[in-house]
Amino acid sequence: MADSRPVAIRLEGVSKRFDHGIKGEVYAVRGVSLIVRPGELLTLLGPSGCGKTTTLRMIAGFQEPDAGRVWIGAQDVTRLMANQRNIGFVFQSYALFPHLTVFENVAYGLRVQRHADAEIAHAVGEVLDLVGLAGYDRQMPHQLSGGEQQRVALARAIVIRPRVLLFDEPLSNLDARLRVQMRGEIQRLQKALGITAVYVTHDQEEAMAISDRIAVMHQGVIVQEGSAETLYHRPASEFVAQFIGRTNLLRGRVTAAAGAGIEVEVHGQKLRAAGGASGFAVGASVTLVLRPESIAISAGGRGLSGTVVSRTFLGEKVEYQVRVGGETLQVTDYGAGGSRVLAPGETVTLEVPSTGVWILEGGA
Amino acid sequence: MTEAVRRPGRDPALWATVLVLWALLGLFVLFPLARLSWLAFFEGGRLSLDHVWSILGDPNHRQAFANSVLLAALVGAGGTALGFLFAYTAARAGLGRGWLAALDATTLLPLVSPPFTTAIAMIFSFGPRGLITYHLLGLKGATAYGLPSTLFAETLTYFPIAYLTLRPILAAIDPNVEDMAFSLGSSRWRVFRTVTLPLAVPGFANAFLLLFAASLADFATPLILAGNSFPVLPTQAYLQVTGLLDFKGGAVLSFALLVPAAAIYFLQRYWVGRGAYVTVTGKAGPATLIKSVAPWARWLLLAACAAVAVVIAYLYALLLYASVVMAFGANHALTWRHYHVIFTEGLKAIHDTLIIAGIGMPLGGLFGVLVGYLVARRRFPGRRAMEMVSMINYALPGTIVGIAYLIAFNDPPLALTGTALIIIACYVFRYSPTGIRATVALLQQIDPSIEEASQGLGARSGLTFRRVTLPLIVPAFFAGLGVVFIRSMTAISATIFLVSINWTLITVRILENMTELSLGPAAAFSVLVVAIVFAVMAGISWALRRLETGGGLRVTSILGG
Repeated sequence: MADSRPVAIRLEGVSKRFDHGIKGEVYAVRGVSLIVRPGELLTLLGPSGCGKTTTLRMIAGFQEPDAGRVWIGAQDVTRLMANQRNIGFVFQSYALFPHLTVFENVAYGLRVQRHADAEIAHAVGEVLDLVGLAGYDRQMPHQLSGGEQQRVALARAIVIRPRVLLFDEPLSNLDARLRVQMRGEIQRLQKALGITAVYVTHDQEEAMAISDRIAVMHQGVIVQEGSAETLYHRPASEFVAQFIGRTNLLRGRVTAAAGAGIEVEVHGQKLRAAGGASGFAVGASVTLVLRPESIAISAGGRGLSGTVVSRTFLGEKVEYQVRVGGETLQVTDYGAGGSRVLAPGETVTLEVPSTGVWILEGGA
Repeated sequence: MTEAVRRPGRDPALWATVLVLWALLGLFVLFPLARLSWLAFFEGGRLSLDHVWSILGDPNHRQAFANSVLLAALVGAGGTALGFLFAYTAARAGLGRGWLAALDATTLLPLVSPPFTTAIAMIFSFGPRGLITYHLLGLKGATAYGLPSTLFAETLTYFPIAYLTLRPILAAIDPNVEDMAFSLGSSRWRVFRTVTLPLAVPGFANAFLLLFAASLADFATPLILAGNSFPVLPTQAYLQVTGLLDFKGGAVLSFALLVPAAAIYFLQRYWVGRGAYVTVTGKAGPATLIKSVAPWARWLLLAACAAVAVVIAYLYALLLYASVVMAFGANHALTWRHYHVIFTEGLKAIHDTLIIAGIGMPLGGLFGVLVGYLVARRRFPGRRAMEMVSMINYALPGTIVGIAYLIAFNDPPLALTGTALIIIACYVFRYSPTGIRATVALLQQIDPSIEEASQGLGARSGLTFRRVTLPLIVPAFFAGLGVVFIRSMTAISATIFLVSINWTLITVRILENMTELSLGPAAAFSVLVVAIVFAVMAGISWALRRLETGGGLRVTSILGG
């Protein structure tokens, strides 16, 4: 695809093998190609071992790809060492220098670049202000809380005005509340500074909250790229559908593919879908993706009929498990208190609007 | 997944350091050993075992070999038993801090003293004019020489090694495992026999091996105590070299030392390796009240430990006393004479020793930290080989290293014999492995991403090492140089071959004094060495405590070996 828009980071067919003691050589990353636009925050999302951290470390220069090329801006940095790339890296463990004060931690990169003392003092003061740590200069890292250490790590990474900012699961050592707060701050800072950023996480909610764009990785390859909405509503594969959000997967067969949407037969009942991952011919085996909250549950009416297996009241919503044919579907009801209590054993009707159904190729 | 650094090709500082270290290791570890092997096993450029057979055919030498093995086995068994007594008492008798400190102090004293201090004190106690043999029992012409006294002295000297090996193993046994056995109806003795002892088996094997090797390599104690009737290999090799000037024979005899050590090593690997004793995995339970020792048994254990401690204290007190009386055993008038002697006639030895230890200390510390860092953190060809080669001189008996240095550095262009350099090199390459291991252990506790963070901020590898890594491994540096200094003050087995008129050592003077029967100065010298060593140890642990306030990283003990 020819595209003349500027590029901040470009990976081209990047691969990395590791010597696995038992399995021999295994690919951690296999032929990954990726473009990050200037000022964009792109997240590499995937389960542990999917190659997302290795990809990030190859952008940083901590690891060298076995094949492929890495560009930062217009420069090919594939063979450039990390200390020559001018990147900011925020580690999962923060990796603060335990023997240096907060001030000296942040000043480290500037000292390496041999800036004047006055200049360093000014820049460090400014960036500590920015991350809300004014007055912490003389503290030692072990005297800080996890959230404060995280801010120091962030300050240390941005003070050198890096070309790109790289985050390796930066929030995974914080408790849930702080995590939500910090991800907001990271996003605010990144946008305010306009720095291109690549963010690695295995937490899909975090990814959706923070990213301009998400690349989902699985077994060393990028399986889908797009906005959070695209990934959620239009997943390209069962893996993406299941990894992002909760989902019901139903096997079915296309019965009609003309006119408004596609008609699919599931357990002898008909469902309509507005769209799918590709065009489908009549008779094709497919998999239907149904999000729990897009299913309407009621005691009567038209639609799939099933039996309530369990009901869990969670305050703002009620979660049901409903048996339809041979399968159990998850249904979330945000009935705002108005809907009737449907007890286990009751026969219910599930209504699915065609816009709430997404079709994937294949299905056993 | 952490691959700290790429190929060294693009990191000239790494390349240069690796090359320099290899050159040093080649010159001071591999080359002497190759020269020694060449001398021992080659005749006129061809492999020849004729000389080996003729040396080993000598009944005297065969006797020495058998004696060495017998002594080492007895010391191994006795020292392990004594070490277990102390370790079990420390781990299971529910002692307060004061008692534990007393146990540690008791075991520290023999560990940091010159290896023959116990032997000298034995002479004062059991010799012809000994405090016990002559003064208490009134025995005339008692002899302190032979197997029993050598065994006794070596056991007291080396049992702390077994203590240090066994204590962490016993401490790591989850008390809940013992509680479980109790709850199943076992008696205390049965728990001890069926749970505690079997779990400590790998520790026993390890402790025995270490003591066996230490005794096999011990040169000074037999030289003082074994006497003519009980020759052992290290002393025979020494006499062969210095008495008969038969370097070849000395080389063969020193190699013979390796045979039993290697045999025991492989036996231990086989034995412990077969029964896969995975002691403790997962989280140890909360420390429960120790019920495994009955109150009467607890007192028995304490009494036994106290008895050993008293014997050690008695021997050291005797040494101190002998250094301040006119002539121990004959004239007990107090005097500073012997100290006057060592600070006038003996001043050169003190001076030389301090200079050599003082120069070797920073070099050894730096070498240990550098090798440890490279081995633990960097990737380069021959990394594992470097780790192994750097341990060789440490693992070999001092007699082998000493003779090898003597042979290797006797001819130009490497004629170092008679210089201070050869002694310093010997100490640096023989005693820096403690620093190497301390550095590796410390680095394993430090997140590698701290160094990557520095790299990411633009620092080159040399700058990262100086600004980040080095400050973090300073504790290991201090531990390493401390050990080099202490051993430089106390070691003798290798360096006795390397001293000269120009450069001599306190330990060598002590041995000379012993053979000239000037026991007073020998005692005074020994007291001086122990005092210096303790002062330096105190200084280093003070420095380590100060350094620990920061990141909470610690070097467990500077006495790893």
